[in-house]
Amino acid sequence: MSLKSQLLKGILEGCILSIIKNEPTYGYELSLKLQHYGLNDVGEGSIYPILLRLQKEKLIEGVMKNSQTGPKRKYYHLTETGVIALVEFTNHWNGLKDPVDRIIEQGGASQNEF
Amino acid sequence: MNSKDIIRENNEKRKLLNEENLAYYQDMLVYIRLNGGKSEQATEEVLLELLEHLIQAQEEGKSAVEIFGDDPKDYSKAIIKEIPNESNTVRIPFIAYIVVQFLAIISLVNGIVGSGMYYFFELGSSTTVVSLGSGFLIVCINLFLLYLFITFVLKWIKRSTDKKPNKWLEFLQLWLISVVMIGTFIAVSYFMPGFGSEIRFPTIAFAGIGIALYLISYMMNKKLRLTK
Repeated sequence: MSLKSQLLKGILEGCILSIIKNEPTYGYELSLKLQHYGLNDVGEGSIYPILLRLQKEKLIEGVMKNSQTGPKRKYYHLTETGVIALVEFTNHWNGLKDPVDRIIEQGGASQNEF
Repeated sequence: MNSKDIIRENNEKRKLLNEENLAYYQDMLVYIRLNGGKSEQATEEVLLELLEHLIQAQEEGKSAVEIFGDDPKDYSKAIIKEIPNESNTVRIPFIAYIVVQFLAIISLVNGIVGSGMYYFFELGSSTTVVSLGSGFLIVCINLFLLYLFITFVLKWIKRSTDKKPNKWLEFLQLWLISVVMIGTFIAVSYFMPGFGSEIRFPTIAFAGIGIALYLISYMMNKKLRLTK
């Protein structure tokens, strides 16, 4: 597995939970939303193994519903466990993103400060 | 929606795919369906989802390769890995159905062929002696052989999605394995020494038992929607 896909794996789960939290979403719509936010490199298909895993872990549930335009679609929503997992993810992410940004930006330059 | 309804919808919707995407999708479909012991409901739900996604993406000019990657088998493996196992409440009635149907066929063939041989060609006898001990063992061995046969055929179909061998060669292989299978069935009953207490009843009664078992399997299927 490439470094990029390893990095993305956990982050994608969090992003998917976050999108689903706002409103019940189906697979294709979810992939469009990820792209809309700029995650263009994520293979569209890569969301389905993740959706299956999140269902297995009971963080999300899928319900087959009629869509307004026609076909029956599986819409996903968060379960209570999913809501808790999303809060945990958000906390972890917030604790990581600033330090990682600082390290990447100043890592080389700040060596003398130690 | 029951998994059988989803399969029906899948069969209809697949017609919307263009040739290239259809070939790719069907490779995934065969591979993912033959997943061995995973939940049928979850399998069919994700297959329909993948199909819906592909249809919508196709309308926007995208191909299956762009969505699922170069290797349908690799992608299918990632999907199968995350599908939950089939629960025993689904698995056990299905196995029972196969067993009852198998016994029905064996019984029916035995009754019809056995009494036919006697009445038309005066071969054998109008009554059959069944040794309960060896009879039970024969049924167990035959069910085990059936299990091996089904496992083999499933593996064989899965393998045939990788390489596309000659259709005739495929047919010949399957025919050969079926002959070996039926031959072994017969050999087991023929060579098994009789033991246990014996009961004697008219050969034609096997046909009656076969019909009764078949009706039971038919009702099981209708009630539990095992195959339809």
